[in-house]
Amino acid sequence: MLSQSLIEDVLTAALSTGGDFSEIFVEDRFTNNFTLQSGKIETCLSGRDFGIGIRVFKGLQSVYAYTTDHSKEGLLKAAKNAAQAISGNSIIQLAPFVHESVENIHPIHLNPQEVDKSRKASIMKNAYDSAKNYHSSISQVTVRYMDEEQNVLIANSEGKFAEDKRVRSRLAIQAVAVRDNQMETGFHGPGAHQGFEFFENLNIDHFANEAARIAVTMLDASPCPSGKFPVIIDNDFGGVIFHEACGHGLEATAVAKNNSVFANRIGEKVAPSIVTYIDDGTIQNEWGSNNIDDEGEKTRKNVLIENGILKGYLIDKFNSRRMGMESTGSGRRQSFRYAPTSRMTNTYIAPGTSTPEEIIANTEHGIYTKYMGGGQVNPSTGDYNFAVMEAYEVKNGKLGKPLKGATLIGNGPKTLQLVDMVGNNLGHGAGMCGSLSGSIPVNVGQPMIRVSEITVGGTKGE
Amino acid sequence: MNIQEFQANLFSAALASGFTDVEMYYEKKEVFGCQIFKGEIDQYEIAEDGGISFRGIFNGKMGYAYTEKIDDASIPFLLDNAKENTLIINDEDREEIFAGSSHYEQGNFFSTALYEVTIPEKIQFIKDVERELLALDTRIVATDYCMIRTETVSRSLSNNKGLSLTDGMNYLYVIVEAIVKDGDETKTSFEFTVSKDFHNLNAKEIAKKAAEEALSQLGSKNIVSKDYPVLLRNDAAANLLATYSPNFSAENTQAGISSLKDKLGTQIANHKITIVDDPFLEDGLASRTFDSEGVATKKLTLVESGVLQSLLHNQKTAKKEQAETTGHAHKDSYKSAVKVGPSNLYIEPSDLSFEDLLATMDEGILITSLSGLHSGANTVSGDFSIAANGFYVADGKVQYPVNLMTIAGNFYQLLQHVEEIGSDLTFPLSPIGSPSVLVKSLSVTVE
Repeated sequence: MLSQSLIEDVLTAALSTGGDFSEIFVEDRFTNNFTLQSGKIETCLSGRDFGIGIRVFKGLQSVYAYTTDHSKEGLLKAAKNAAQAISGNSIIQLAPFVHESVENIHPIHLNPQEVDKSRKASIMKNAYDSAKNYHSSISQVTVRYMDEEQNVLIANSEGKFAEDKRVRSRLAIQAVAVRDNQMETGFHGPGAHQGFEFFENLNIDHFANEAARIAVTMLDASPCPSGKFPVIIDNDFGGVIFHEACGHGLEATAVAKNNSVFANRIGEKVAPSIVTYIDDGTIQNEWGSNNIDDEGEKTRKNVLIENGILKGYLIDKFNSRRMGMESTGSGRRQSFRYAPTSRMTNTYIAPGTSTPEEIIANTEHGIYTKYMGGGQVNPSTGDYNFAVMEAYEVKNGKLGKPLKGATLIGNGPKTLQLVDMVGNNLGHGAGMCGSLSGSIPVNVGQPMIRVSEITVGGTKGE
Repeated sequence: MNIQEFQANLFSAALASGFTDVEMYYEKKEVFGCQIFKGEIDQYEIAEDGGISFRGIFNGKMGYAYTEKIDDASIPFLLDNAKENTLIINDEDREEIFAGSSHYEQGNFFSTALYEVTIPEKIQFIKDVERELLALDTRIVATDYCMIRTETVSRSLSNNKGLSLTDGMNYLYVIVEAIVKDGDETKTSFEFTVSKDFHNLNAKEIAKKAAEEALSQLGSKNIVSKDYPVLLRNDAAANLLATYSPNFSAENTQAGISSLKDKLGTQIANHKITIVDDPFLEDGLASRTFDSEGVATKKLTLVESGVLQSLLHNQKTAKKEQAETTGHAHKDSYKSAVKVGPSNLYIEPSDLSFEDLLATMDEGILITSLSGLHSGANTVSGDFSIAANGFYVADGKVQYPVNLMTIAGNFYQLLQHVEEIGSDLTFPLSPIGSPSVLVKSLSVTVE
């Protein structure tokens, strides 16, 4: 994407004032984003993102410059702008580049850039028809189609020179159901690190019908009661609770400065022994997977919590300096506009032994959440909140009426201690995660789990 | 490559390949940001950023494409993609390229004085903020978010109907998080300051505000979960309004995902509520002289004394209702399609101070921050159940902080149940603003 000699010049210019490490990230990304509403394709956006990020370290100082000006002058100016933040004499010389051949562990069969757009349109129409025809109360369906091809080149002063291509595809279906003055919604958004074959192999009817079914079901839902209850969280996207409640607190961004509730606790028991929590960027073709991270390190399977014991953190190159620990291949960023930092990939609770039927049958009175919405955490305090899209009452070991308007709040480390059953039905769900280095694709996952007590905020008093 | 030259080449290639009307939108940005940790520069960011968006009519339909790589090789990429996109669009409501408004008001959103503030001055200022913050109280610990950022943005829009517009703005903001620890208890607060007037910013004041906000939350207690009168402090009220502001877009009413459909002329809120959109607001983060279609912008009253007067329109949504565009065509950036969006939208303040509002409460909750609005607020149904921080209020006075809460209700009912509006209009690092709002009752659950 840029010549090797230009890259050498940029990395050298970045080090000219005494930096001890410099890095260049070149990104060339092709995207398609289409929206279908009321049965018609309304928006078709296609484009090319192109830019360069330059990073310099000196000890525990990190400088980042980026530009969309790809001329030699523009790049050298950006490198010098970055270098100006550091003062001193050049102390480091570039190591000779070692060209890495990045092994592609996420095979792509049909590059979406080479697929006719009318085929993409028909995928969207199928999803629309399927959701719209599910039930007469479905008043509106919005289908979003997304594909992208991101080409990256990462080189640094330590001799790294790696290139990679990442292809992602996603379909998001939102259904609205209406009765009288009441409007409810349902959503499903499957995605993968895959080409157009993802859509061709996808059971579109299933996901469209589920989105519609949730909206229709919620028309008959009762307001969720407030209070403290045992909560059963189903598998798949349900894992968002631990993404918020503990994943973010295990990222070096929070741990390195001792602001995380999990800082300095390696080897301690932070969860019941039935809980094992893993971040694995290598799972073939999963939404959150990559061959290499955005600092050129191979992604890996990182066991964070094993049988309740805290084993490790998610660490990027810069924070590894502050922490004195190795990078875990977790440096990620939305685009060249962001300096990379430690982020999750596909994070999940490992499966246990209980069947979903056993978990429900063992719960006398509580709340069962079938689908979660999104959530948020404050990593300094561990306080989290997240919304429930579809919930049911549990009474005497059986599922009861549907409930709406539930929000779960609590403290991550405390909730983690209260997990008392882990199911055997592990599933993963695709989402977008926003943090310091922007919005990135991640999977959240878990089998069905039960937490003995969570505070549920609903619209109906206690 | 020179941008005028690029535009000339793009337009002639587009017209030669069968496009009839064509438009180019160009955005350019200069960014500086710096984050301090324990007296040292921790993160430093400097950037020149930009990209162009092409829109053109081919066989009567609008096609879009954008690129950040501005060179001759990108021209066929833009035209091929835009053309192919027109083939799959089947919306009968057509977008149009706009020939221009008769008059454009001047806007002055760019401060030369701010642009001339040097990088060392900005770094020194943010170091001062951190030093002041850490010196205020031994319970305050070093924080990740002690940062200053300036952005300078210019945009231009031109088309082959003779329109050629440009405007620009710059602003500075400071974000400080205070983290306080006392025994097992940790509390945090975020303080946002937006300004064009660098030399009147006071590091100590910013630090003090952040510290007080976090310290005041220590010693939080449990209270009974039930329905309480709620005073939403200005910043929390603004965040809630921002979440529901898309419902004022005619695009959303026409798509059947906003309940404000068919509500024009009806009472949708308490008579004390007036909501306006002002594209010329001083220091507004979304100030603009023309919208994303090139239509001249002007101030608009959306809700007057509780009655819905107007929705936000672009050309396409207006045409559908035989109305005039209100100048609210909006693109998030050159990467986006033309949608509908507010400029600086806010609830008009009254003359009652925050203390006046507090004094009217016998018993209730003061909410100072909300989190999880992106997931806990359903913009379609209006229902929300969101995590909140705040204080117990009795006899017109703040008594003590309350443990993490959720507040639940419905946005449309909340508008009807507003009892008083404050005078303390604020825009919390956002173009959507509000004064403090006193609400009759919301369901409060305490952890």
